[in-house]
Amino acid sequence: MKIRTFKGGVHPPERKEGSRALPIESAFPSTKTVWIPITQGGAPNKPIVQVGDSVARGQKIAETDAFMSAPVHASIAGTVKKIETHLVVGNVDAPCIVIEGDDSGRTDFMPVLDPFTCTREAALARVRTAGIVGMGGASFPAHVKLSPPKGTKIDYLIANGAECEPYLTIDARTIEEHAASIVDGIAIAMYITGAAEGIIALEDNKANLVPVLEKAISGQKCVPVGPGACNISVSVCKTKYPQGGEKMLIKALVGREVPSGGLPAACGCVVQNVGTLKAISEAFRQGKPLIDRALTVSGGACKTPKNIEVPVGTLVGDLIPQTVELNPGVAKIVSGGPMMGLAMKSASFPVQKNTSGVLFLTAGETCTDEESPCIGCGRCITVCSCRLAPVLVVRALKGDDLEEAKRCGLMDCVECGTCAYVCPARVKLVQHFKIGKQLVRAEMAKAAARAAAKGAK
Amino acid sequence: MGESDKNEIYISPAPHFAVPMTTRQTMFVVIAALLPIAAYGVWLFGFPALVTIVAAVASTVVFESLFRLVTRQDVRAGDLSAAVSGLLLAMVLPPTTPVWMTILGGLFAMVVAKEFFGGLGANVFNPALSGRAFLLVSFATPMTTWIAPSLGKAADAVTSATPLAYIKPAEGAISTAAQIAEKLGYSSAGDLYLSYFMGARGGCIGESAIFLIAFAFVALVATRIIDWRAPVAMIVTACAVTWIAGINPLLTLLSGGLAFGAVFMATDYATSPVTPIGRLIFGAGCGLITALVRVFGGYPEGVMFSILIMNSLVPFLNKIIPRKYGWVRPAKKEGVAK
Repeated sequence: MKIRTFKGGVHPPERKEGSRALPIESAFPSTKTVWIPITQGGAPNKPIVQVGDSVARGQKIAETDAFMSAPVHASIAGTVKKIETHLVVGNVDAPCIVIEGDDSGRTDFMPVLDPFTCTREAALARVRTAGIVGMGGASFPAHVKLSPPKGTKIDYLIANGAECEPYLTIDARTIEEHAASIVDGIAIAMYITGAAEGIIALEDNKANLVPVLEKAISGQKCVPVGPGACNISVSVCKTKYPQGGEKMLIKALVGREVPSGGLPAACGCVVQNVGTLKAISEAFRQGKPLIDRALTVSGGACKTPKNIEVPVGTLVGDLIPQTVELNPGVAKIVSGGPMMGLAMKSASFPVQKNTSGVLFLTAGETCTDEESPCIGCGRCITVCSCRLAPVLVVRALKGDDLEEAKRCGLMDCVECGTCAYVCPARVKLVQHFKIGKQLVRAEMAKAAARAAAKGAK
Repeated sequence: MGESDKNEIYISPAPHFAVPMTTRQTMFVVIAALLPIAAYGVWLFGFPALVTIVAAVASTVVFESLFRLVTRQDVRAGDLSAAVSGLLLAMVLPPTTPVWMTILGGLFAMVVAKEFFGGLGANVFNPALSGRAFLLVSFATPMTTWIAPSLGKAADAVTSATPLAYIKPAEGAISTAAQIAEKLGYSSAGDLYLSYFMGARGGCIGESAIFLIAFAFVALVATRIIDWRAPVAMIVTACAVTWIAGINPLLTLLSGGLAFGAVFMATDYATSPVTPIGRLIFGAGCGLITALVRVFGGYPEGVMFSILIMNSLVPFLNKIIPRKYGWVRPAKKEGVAK
């Protein structure tokens, strides 16, 4: 099999061995209480339950009318105790619905729906109602990705199982244990988007999963499915960071590039994480909304690296020490992988729909160096998978030259962190880009307001 | 909550991993690559070379630290950048440079060429070459006095004239390699090449040992400390242009400071372009100016001037960026707006 890849990238230590072979186990917070953030991807939701309400598992508890949004559901059966702010990923306080479990196990799922006999609109509505968002980390509402703008033809549906972040093994475990669901999810997504070809992408460190997936694909062929839904294949990419980035994956697999400022649909591709595809399958076959999240808990300060599945809203701190045991010397708590994940100030934050892992890193593993002056070595340019010039973007930003920063690629940056990973001066490149992007957006908003004011006159 | 709350928790932006290679370690590798060349230079030219090296390194480190202390900035001697500059300065000085002159060169390199521009990473001109240029234009005679190396033709009188003087087509008479070999007292052209390759000639402390420079180039490229583009472009261009002018390209490469300058000076991080294409043009420009100075210039050697001149073009060369992922030709109205 041909091993595909992109230009640039780096090889951080993988450190997946701690949890790679361990099956996903179900876990439950010791307090029997979940803190479900009201908004988890898309436009802000409003709660539709009140304090004191009794809710069933799977019941919708927050939503909004905006297209670019995804509703949130109760992940356990119980009573709404409070609706208040709590620390969430990103070190901010966000409104959460607090549900105390009552062990009744009552569920309120949607009716089962056959994805291949219903209309595409009905299928899209089901994906949205199930509250499915991108589970690879971006938390982008799945139904938005599956409904590309009119006139765009989708050729490829890419299932992203590359999992290029170190430590994380949850996508690999999900493939190993739920290959049939994933393949079913691909078939459904292909039916909705009209994609003729489905590709499952793996990094070659997971080549052992190829037969598992091929078996699932051949099983899928026996089921009556929508047009073209049988044309699914497995592609192996080089183990290299950021192979799992949407743009890199498309370049490696089909040789196309997402046009600057556009979505993958603009080059005929839709990329979904394997976990998202499994959730899509379950939304149809079981009527189950996205209420459980499988994730890897690992890191050098984690005594028991494992893959667990918890109700969305479980506070990570409530898993310690019953489910997750720690060693002394935790220096960093990271939600997500070490390359793009967010460092948290405490473990008391809820697992969200897009939480692919929680890492407890020791001071030795993580980098705590201070930023020092850029020496102009240009290594960031050599490794940038988007062929940008990170050093020049930062220089332009320091000189308040937003136009030059944009020319050097500020708005094309995917914030994968490859440049900062190789920087010998430890310049916080990604952080500078994030601030720079906000400045550009503020500038654009100002320009739009000015134009509107002119138009009003 | 968790036990983790009892520990000190760091919060920082992603990524939470970094390569072990820091600025300090990068500089350390460069020093490691320079040390064999320096040691060989001491063996070739004796005790005065050692004195020059020690004086140069000590003065750059001390002057950088003093300047930063006086201007109330953090002292950065720990990043080893000043030590690298000092070592580089010594490598491009004649072995017999008076100590006070070397120290003056270190002062100019660190304070004027580096710190006045903002220090590490912000300087426009190569500090070591700036120091050498300052000394060369101030004290021409001691800066062009060469002594014979301990290796090879010890009896040969290369004490005052650099071998480059023979290569320069003086009054239209361009010598072939064999003729130059004869003039310098070598048995054949091959003997000349080999002697030069092994560093058996007068010159600056670090520029003679071509074989060690070649080894350092391979090692630094393999460890990804330097990029191959600028040195290769510089050497290829210089050899090609001098060859067109009728000078043996092998002698162009083996004589003077071309190899050393290409590997260690044209790759200086702060003063060379960061983009791949920029580096190629930068190297080619350095090679072209070197060749022009060697063929037509008033000085026998052009490496130093070529690199300093090209240093000033780096901000413009950095405008040439690679084609971005997913780049689309901007719509016409944007072009009109400009």
